[in-house]
Amino acid sequence: MCTGRIDPVWVARALKRGLDGFLIVGCYFGDCHYISGNVQAKAKMDMTRRLLEHIGVNGKRLSFQQCSSGEGARFAELVNEFDQQIREIGPIGEGGDQLGKPEIFEKLQIAEAVLGGEKMRWVIGKRTPFMESGNMYGEIFTEHEFRRAIDMIIVEETETQAILHSLNKGAKSVEQLSQELEIPSERVFRYIRALKRKGFVEMGQIIERNPIYQLASQEV
Amino acid sequence: MENKKTLVVGAGPAGVRLALERAEAGEQVTLVEKFPSLGAERIPRNRLINAEQAFDSPDLEKVRDHKNITIFPYSEVKRVTKENGKIKARVIKHSLRVDNTKCNDCKACIRVCPVNMFDDFNEGLGFRTAVDYFNPINAEYNIFKEDMPVCQRTCPVNLDIRGYVGLIADGKYAESLARIRERLPFPASIGRVCPHPCETACNRQYLDEPISICFLKRFVADVEIEAGIEPTYETAEKKYPEKIAIIGAGPSGLTCAHDLAKMGYENIKVFEALPVPGGYLWVGIPEYRLPKKILQREVDLIAKMGVEIQYNVRIGKDISFEELRNQYDAIFIGAGCHRGLKLRVPGEDEYEGIIDCVTFLREQALGIRKEGKGKLIVIGGGNAAIDSARVGWRMGYDEVYILYRRTRKEMPANPWEVDAAEHEGVKLQFLAAPVEILGENGKVVGMKCIKMELGEPDASGRRRPVPIEGSEYVIEAETIVPAISQGTDLSFLPEEHDFKLTRWNTFDIDEETGATNIPGVFAGGDVVSGPNIAIRAIAGGKRAALGIHEYLRSK
Amino acid sequence: MIYEKHGRYIIPFDDVPSQRAVMPEISVEERKGNFVEVETGFPEEMAVNEAKRCLGCRRCLGCALCWAECKPEAIDFSMPDETLDLEFDEVIITPAQDNTFERLDKALGYGIYPHVITDLQFERMLSPTGPTDGLVMSPLNGQIPSRLAIIQGHPEEDENHLLPSLILGVNESILALHKTEELEVTLVSPFSDTFEKDYLPEAKKVKGLELVNGKPLSVKQETDGLGLLLTYTGTDGEKQQEFDMIVVLTKPKLSSDISNLSKKLNQEVVSA
Ligand SMILES: Cc1cc2nc3c(=O)[nH]c(=O)nc-3n(C[C@H](O)[C@H](O)[C@H](O)COP(=O)(O)OP(=O)(O)OC[C@H]3O[C@@H](n4cnc5c(N)ncnc54)[C@H](O)[C@@H]3O)c2cc1C
Ligand code: SF4
Repeated sequence: MCTGRIDPVWVARALKRGLDGFLIVGCYFGDCHYISGNVQAKAKMDMTRRLLEHIGVNGKRLSFQQCSSGEGARFAELVNEFDQQIREIGPIGEGGDQLGKPEIFEKLQIAEAVLGGEKMRWVIGKRTPFMESGNMYGEIFTEHEFRRAIDMIIVEETETQAILHSLNKGAKSVEQLSQELEIPSERVFRYIRALKRKGFVEMGQIIERNPIYQLASQEV
Repeated sequence: MENKKTLVVGAGPAGVRLALERAEAGEQVTLVEKFPSLGAERIPRNRLINAEQAFDSPDLEKVRDHKNITIFPYSEVKRVTKENGKIKARVIKHSLRVDNTKCNDCKACIRVCPVNMFDDFNEGLGFRTAVDYFNPINAEYNIFKEDMPVCQRTCPVNLDIRGYVGLIADGKYAESLARIRERLPFPASIGRVCPHPCETACNRQYLDEPISICFLKRFVADVEIEAGIEPTYETAEKKYPEKIAIIGAGPSGLTCAHDLAKMGYENIKVFEALPVPGGYLWVGIPEYRLPKKILQREVDLIAKMGVEIQYNVRIGKDISFEELRNQYDAIFIGAGCHRGLKLRVPGEDEYEGIIDCVTFLREQALGIRKEGKGKLIVIGGGNAAIDSARVGWRMGYDEVYILYRRTRKEMPANPWEVDAAEHEGVKLQFLAAPVEILGENGKVVGMKCIKMELGEPDASGRRRPVPIEGSEYVIEAETIVPAISQGTDLSFLPEEHDFKLTRWNTFDIDEETGATNIPGVFAGGDVVSGPNIAIRAIAGGKRAALGIHEYLRSK
Repeated sequence: MIYEKHGRYIIPFDDVPSQRAVMPEISVEERKGNFVEVETGFPEEMAVNEAKRCLGCRRCLGCALCWAECKPEAIDFSMPDETLDLEFDEVIITPAQDNTFERLDKALGYGIYPHVITDLQFERMLSPTGPTDGLVMSPLNGQIPSRLAIIQGHPEEDENHLLPSLILGVNESILALHKTEELEVTLVSPFSDTFEKDYLPEAKKVKGLELVNGKPLSVKQETDGLGLLLTYTGTDGEKQQEFDMIVVLTKPKLSSDISNLSKKLNQEVVSA
């Protein structure tokens, strides 16, 4: 299968199920049967790694390597190397990552929602056109600019998804969300206002001067 | 009689009210508003309210449906001119990019939009996405697309900063430099000396510190120099034969020449009074900030495009201005501000050893003035004062002082320059002003000064220094360099000329084209703005190049 | 083109260096008696790291996701800007809707603490179409405050500014008190003569509003809590008091395009 077909969601899903690493070995740039499948795969995996690191998973758990079908020895070497690397880091959530065990799986669930969300999928898919022919306004992005755009989405989407994820378990006030998710309350309140404007959450009762927010009825 | 036509700019509460009033009276009203929708309800500021009827809402519905009112939201008024009682205006209507007649307010777009931004309608208290409605009352959607990032917008020549900085981050230095050169022919020089208004505007400052935009420009320019790459300039294929004269080889004049050459003009001649190019970049800014060979290289590149530079020719002396007018199809004046202003104190013109900063720096730069002895006092608080002092320190003066009549906080010089001077051992004396120059045997021996204190703020918002009576004191000095400010020297114009000048003796030009009131004569740089910064002079040259092109092509 | 009034909403990303690169220089000893260039330029690594700090400011990404989602096909990226040359008999210039205001003293905490907001922001907050549906909530944590202060941002100004500003302050208090249970509002501003004469008696009747003829000096967040400590001088000397949220009264300022236009046409700006 072409590495370009690998969906970043699979990475989050695999790690969530308790796998300790994810190695992708594809063909060399220029050898791609589908012209640029492997270039896109690399970009997708770089982005996924940034997301993993952002939520506190060791980025070395995801590796993208290249090797041709004739290089059996190299393939074996790559696999051994990766195996070695993962052994050094240890099992997921047991010291080799910024996060410990129950949280890391919680976070990976959020990562799955982010990676599977249409914003991320859509924008990452725009990489080649953005950098070659330009966006809707004809602006051609540099690699750096594109990465910044993705970074922005990573940060905002993980925090937004975390809020939705938490509200799904029960209605909460801004302060409660802030403490649970360790996001400054000011930012949580901003996201809440944005989500409210978009129709994802609504305000319920007010308890002790704290408005309580819940998912909008259509979303439950 | 036709209905009176009225333009109302601004659709805040006042604008909406006036528009309605006028329309009711039968006038044909055009309402222009820069935001994508008309104003919101307001709490009154002229009477106390009762809580049930707190807001005054403009009758938006009525305004929108009124047959005498045309509304232009998301629009700007440009090029306003008054002509025999009529007012002509250009209205630029920005595209909303959403057809609100089709939109059914389903919010599908704002749910997926990946870009969050401050909500202007709610004074930044709310959050909107790039595609969103502006005013919730009418839920008219628009896509917020800036024409440029703030840095680029602030840059006088609108350099694509985001682009060239991004290319550096990607390691593509040559492409980055090419991107800069599309709009700026002096990347290495400007990258060293620019006071970078773009960095003052940079959004990153709200997070930590602004991007070092200016030095990054220098970096890519230096990469090319170090690699010994000889860049070439492309000029347009279509050539134009008109003859263009440019007065002054300063940044404004050279940029104008460069841009015209790039457009395909083949007969451009630059006249320069000095034996060197660059104007103040050569004879003002010292070598230790901008090495001459760096500047020379960039000037050579322009010359290679077919621009002829004639040195040692002063217009008004070697060639008369009238002669130029007769021989050339268009003229650009970029003569700068090369007259140092006087202190206007007794003794100023009597003794040897008092020399204004412009002359002092020029003579040093041209190698006429090499060494200094004794004590040097520089008077002033601008960059020219700091440069003179730092140059003096390098020339070997035993002690160098800067005398400024206000305090460090009010100094117009860039703070990093002031720090550097102090670091090198220049001594700063604040709150003091010269009263009289003292001399013996025709030579300066010192200066009588008076202490100052800060009084009430003046028109510029800075507190005005006032002398403290009876606080005069004398300091000894062998050399005194006034660096108060510079003015234009327009002595090259014929005695009786028809140029429209401002009260600062600078040219009054058309803001869009750089044209003076005399057809075919354009001006830019310090000769228009008064002493300013190089990048603005360059912008003036660019503007005039376009103006000249437009003028010549429509002739 | 219009810009966001409140700067850009920025999201930091963890791996980007936050420190700005410092230009290397030759030492002072090396400079004496010569004109060698002082600044030596960024080494490559430094330059690339510095460039990576750039946020690549851009609003709409031009990704067209909205376009793909929009069922009625209302979104059209190719919709052009239009330029119209028009002629008029008269021009009336009014303040634009961007509500620009004079710079506020940093000591009052605006721009530093999220729960210090301007009267303009508060006006939006109180509006039923505003971001909180007209409820008073602290932008710090969404809580409904019980102690609110409205303070004068330009106490040095004269009647011309103070009067409308005081009336707005009282009006906002009336509205906030009406909408919020168990709220106390303190308004601190020098009173102007007309205000004292014509409006003060009426304003004093508002329940829950305390009017202080004084001058706000500083606002600080308490180190051990979220409250804001306001220091002000009132009729009986300097005082300190704690609040949950503070609103600063601003002084309107013409935006530069409007004032340029008025200068160019030599015509006054007509305000409400
Ligand atoms: C000491 C000093 C330090 C400065 N430092 C900085 C800095 O760090 N950064 C910055 O951005 N800006 C700086 N500036 C300002 C900047 O150099 C000027 O704004 C800029 O050079 C103006 O460009 P210009 O083309 O308008 O005029 P100029 O650079 O002044 O050039 C005008 C040219 O016209 C020539 N000329 C004049 N009259 C005639 C005539 N009749 N015939 C023929 N030629 C004529 C002059 O000889 C001169 O070469 C500094 C200025 C000074 C004085
Ligand atoms: S971060 Fe600064 S330099 Fe980069 S695009 Fe934004 S304003 Fe420009």
